[in-house]
Amino acid sequence: MAEMSEKTAIAQNVQETHVLEIRGLRAGVETKQGRKEILKGVDLTVRTGEIHAIMGPNGSGKSTLAYTLTGHPKYEVESGTVLLDGTDILALKPYERARLGLFLSMQAPVEVPGVSMTNFLRTAVTEVQGSAPSLREWVGELDEAMRRLRMDPRFANRSVNEGFSGGEKKRSEILQLELLKPKFALFDEIDSGLDIDALRIVAEGINRAEKADHFGAMLITHYTRILRYVKPDFVHVFADGRFVRTGGPELADELEQTGYDRYLPQGKSESALA
Amino acid sequence: MGKMVSEDEEAAVRARMPHYDSADPYKLPALMPSSADRSIRSFDPDDFPAPGHRSDEWRYAPIDRLDDFFHPFTPSGLTEVSAAFEDGTPVAGPVRFGRADAGSCPAGSVGKPVDKASAVQWQASAGAGRIWWLDVTGSCDQPVIVRLAGHGDGLDAVHLVVTVADDARADIVIDHTGQASLAEGIEIRTGARSHVNLSSIQEWQKGSRHLGSQRIEVGRGAELQHNVISLSGSVVRLRMDPDFAGPDGFLNMLGIYFADPGSYMEHRTMVVHNHPSCRSRVIYKGALDGTGARSAWVGNALILPTAPKTDSYELNRNLVLSPGAVANSEPQLEIENGAIVGAGHASSVGRFDDEQLFYLESRGIGVDQARKLVVRGFFADLIGQIGVPGVEKQLMDTIDRRLARGESSDMARILEED
Ligand SMILES: Nc1ncnc2c1ncn2[C@@H]1O[C@H](COP(=O)(O)OP(=O)(O)OP(=O)(O)O)[C@@H](O)[C@H]1O
Ligand SMILES: [Mg+2]
Repeated sequence: MAEMSEKTAIAQNVQETHVLEIRGLRAGVETKQGRKEILKGVDLTVRTGEIHAIMGPNGSGKSTLAYTLTGHPKYEVESGTVLLDGTDILALKPYERARLGLFLSMQAPVEVPGVSMTNFLRTAVTEVQGSAPSLREWVGELDEAMRRLRMDPRFANRSVNEGFSGGEKKRSEILQLELLKPKFALFDEIDSGLDIDALRIVAEGINRAEKADHFGAMLITHYTRILRYVKPDFVHVFADGRFVRTGGPELADELEQTGYDRYLPQGKSESALA
Repeated sequence: MGKMVSEDEEAAVRARMPHYDSADPYKLPALMPSSADRSIRSFDPDDFPAPGHRSDEWRYAPIDRLDDFFHPFTPSGLTEVSAAFEDGTPVAGPVRFGRADAGSCPAGSVGKPVDKASAVQWQASAGAGRIWWLDVTGSCDQPVIVRLAGHGDGLDAVHLVVTVADDARADIVIDHTGQASLAEGIEIRTGARSHVNLSSIQEWQKGSRHLGSQRIEVGRGAELQHNVISLSGSVVRLRMDPDFAGPDGFLNMLGIYFADPGSYMEHRTMVVHNHPSCRSRVIYKGALDGTGARSAWVGNALILPTAPKTDSYELNRNLVLSPGAVANSEPQLEIENGAIVGAGHASSVGRFDDEQLFYLESRGIGVDQARKLVVRGFFADLIGQIGVPGVEKQLMDTIDRRLARGESSDMARILEED
């Protein structure tokens, strides 16, 4: 039964193509010293089914891009547009963007004391789907998803991310990805701090969700290792607030050899930028 | 006439004497001014100064709404006091409960009244015979619930004595409900090596006023978890004065409060470490919602010279859910002993955590819902530490009911403002 409905879901998703277009995006934060511009004209188009790896030096603005796309209140957009199937999402609240199908796996997932994972996940799924899943189906799906990610079932009763190890937090992000079935997923360093087995489990999770839901992905990473599991269609170099180069998978290996120095403005080392 | 001492000589003598140095108070801990020396303990209300906004003791409280508590009165008797086991059966076996007079129970022996209101309360209770005694002589396998049910606004006084025998284990809940103006004194003495979990729950109806003083003595080698949960009422002011009967005691104080518009919640935890090797933890956390919601927490840990190897820590956190709510937080430490394990404190007043809200919203959860989840989580986290399942469930039901109601209109207004 469950298999049947899964297959129909896949069939529908494959037919639908969605597109996320980022045009001339400039954004920054208000600091005590005044306004700091971080994104300095970002352009990128992502279609469902595509995987875009994003690599770049520390402090270049990758997380800021992820936060700005999902509507974190700290980041202020100065100019530019972000269209999801033609709708400008920059005017939308974070939860409205999520309901349209945007998902962010955070570099540092937040702990929410006293809110159980089950309560949180069920609320989120209900809001994103627009109706509460039947209890029996829901329990089954959650159990199954946790089992595949080798998460102890007891995690369901723990507070959201509270006291989770770094690796457990990342698995919890993938669990949410699988349950929320977004159109576009942003992974901000999903691979940082994972041991070899956890990296494989997380990567399998991304691939499984990608196969089932056919989302478009932006995969921010510092390492090529995850790209051996999650095969990117494009690799982009992000430096000093914008994309500076785009290539195929081979670009990742090249970067591993050469580093980012030649993409940085004259005289600016990585630490000076940060 | 004594021997004349020149001013110079006197200055020289003074210079040789060890002096308390306010810039470096821990240099000579024994010279520090001790609140124990300053504070008055008496059964006679006249021994206490009239409460005023300038006194440390009453500076946060709305004393103009409490004036009747400071003058002798005859109790209205509108508070019904009863006790039963959690399943509703009458107390029996190792638990005895009933009215007592001051002579036949240890009333007044744990501690004398600590302020004007508690001395007035003592006199009113004793004069009208409104003293009850809960005596736990052995372990009980289900919680004992003492109910104080208010039936009207007339000023009432109740004095309750709780004694627990050596080596006993007991969960005790003192549940305050209904409409009341109540002056309350509670004395708690736990036996040596006993394990007691005692909760005082305030779920008063609107307009209720409750002034309470709890004098507490933790037995030698005993463990007392003391929970105070104040969720409703117009004015709730509870002062706890715990100390220890001997070494190796552990006092674990948990406080939870939720103030809404027009309500005032004050809690004072005045822990005195008077014996060696005792441990105290004071964790008080509250949420304030709506214009005019006010709270105060004053925590004092006094570590006397007689209490080496003390380990004490106090913490207060306030979650201010909307502008116009005011939380006062005042941790104090008086360390008069250099040989302690640790003494620490922390306090904060904060707003919603933007990162928590964003995380929930980024998963499709609307602003209103996200805030409710965070507030519910704030309380669930604390309530889960009470350790008495029946109490935890009762309190979470209350929180859920309040959140489901959408709580105050101020909450709704805030949601629109952002
Ligand atoms: N809220 C903020 N306030 C002030 N500065 C900020 C804020 N957020 C980001 N920045 C600054 O903006 C720059 C970009 O930060 P961002 O986190 O986006 O970098 P990143 O590319 O994700 O780096 P990393 O690879 O180390 O994760 C940094 O210099 C950072 O210090
Ligand atoms: Mg980053």
